[in-house]
Amino acid sequence: MSGWKRAVAVPFTGQRDGEGPMTWGQRHIWRLTEWLDDGDPYFNMAWTLAVPGRPGLDRVLGALRALLERHESLRTTWEGRTQRITRSGTLTVDLYEAGDRRPLALAKELAEELAAKGFRYDSELPMRCALVLADGQPRAAAFAFTHMAVDAWSLDVIASEWRPLIAGEQLSAPACQPLDLTGLERDCDRELRYWRSHLERVPQRLVDREIEPEEPRYVRIGMESAAAGVAARAIARRCSVSTTSVLGTACATVMADALGRRTAVMQWIVANRHQERTRSMVGTMTQDGLFVLDLPDAPDQGFPAAVRAGHRQALAAYRHACYDPYAMRALRDDCERARGGPIDLSAYFNDGRIVADWPNLPDGDLTELAAKTRTFFVGAWPHVDGTVFFATGQATHTCQLYLLVDTAHLPRETAYAMLAGVEQLLIKNAVKEP
Amino acid sequence: MLRERVAELVSVASGGDLAVPDILAADCTLPALGVTSLTYIRLIDAIEDEFGVDLDLVTDPGAIDTLDGLVTYIAGHTDRTRT
Repeated sequence: MSGWKRAVAVPFTGQRDGEGPMTWGQRHIWRLTEWLDDGDPYFNMAWTLAVPGRPGLDRVLGALRALLERHESLRTTWEGRTQRITRSGTLTVDLYEAGDRRPLALAKELAEELAAKGFRYDSELPMRCALVLADGQPRAAAFAFTHMAVDAWSLDVIASEWRPLIAGEQLSAPACQPLDLTGLERDCDRELRYWRSHLERVPQRLVDREIEPEEPRYVRIGMESAAAGVAARAIARRCSVSTTSVLGTACATVMADALGRRTAVMQWIVANRHQERTRSMVGTMTQDGLFVLDLPDAPDQGFPAAVRAGHRQALAAYRHACYDPYAMRALRDDCERARGGPIDLSAYFNDGRIVADWPNLPDGDLTELAAKTRTFFVGAWPHVDGTVFFATGQATHTCQLYLLVDTAHLPRETAYAMLAGVEQLLIKNAVKEP
Repeated sequence: MLRERVAELVSVASGGDLAVPDILAADCTLPALGVTSLTYIRLIDAIEDEFGVDLDLVTDPGAIDTLDGLVTYIAGHTDRTRT
């Protein structure tokens, strides 16, 4: 039988404690949490890791201790725009016996449970953990983190350290901690200038029409298309750009077409990890970049040229996505006052693929591959901060593309047509010369 | 020489994946040579820091496509700054 066995304490002592202003990445999440009720778990991340080999409980607890000691973000609390790192403390880890359950499947359930309750940002460690054992051996770890402490990149950092730490390897210290960033994040004038130059001219409205929404109002659908992946890769190769730029430009093009716009204005979710020192850092650095693309009159005309322009816009968006969110809010307020009303930036694109370029895509004719494309409903929510939100999935054998829409402006059938439109646009341009 | 220095910056930005002689000898665009988005972001930061020029990716798209495009852009804009 599966079930809770006991709790164990993991004491840790890091190199230093400290206190300083929140980083810009932390402020980005903090600003969003201010809209939520206390204890709202919206910004919690549930996550699991398999335990490789049969290392024994002590080694796994040792790896958890090492993670806490290495990464200050995992022993940080936040209050009043201040981050506070504690040098030492104790993480309590619950142990569960898998019984007849698959350990990783049980861990996923436990992770969801751990993440279902909001963190007390001012007093609680930003990480919760449970271990699933089979025959007394730890087999899987369940985690919940607050997004204040980690982003998707950080999870990849932790995953890459997990196996060597369990094996008892000594890893070099991360090059940077979030507290170190605060000394570097002094001025974002360049970023603010970039955003201002666009906010002064972009269309203020994203959508024109209102329709009777579904209940719940925000609907997320998905598509799995190996054909789209193969086509995007071919276009990327031909245009010497990334598949992110190809996919993002295709999404922007299709969105603009569905909304009757010739300028696509989107916020792209940017990891902000291009500096070498931050690549091994656990922390939250993700912020929004501004992507503005003027499109040709017909959506399927000149797509390769749009891709090249989109790539440059993406680079510009990436370069100007690290800023003080409070200064940015003030800038937006200023621009909106000057323009006499709000500027709708609620269209998003998030390419969160950890592995680039779908390395396990099948070979084959695009038409045959497209016949295997499937679309599906994911879920619906009463409130989401987004009117149109494209996001990729992590599959490496097919292009997983998700689309969330506000059905008060875009009906569900239009959302399906948009995903199909992305696939068709890519296929059409993969087979013809630019 | 400016061209050699910019090639060095490209190499550093690529994390050493691209060698300076290959960059100097390339008869193709930088992306075709293997300059990724990440490398570009680092490269543009490095160029702006070292030469004090503001590279506008959108209004000067040709400037970043090739090594010689970058060199011409930097030479033109640093001259303008000095005069």
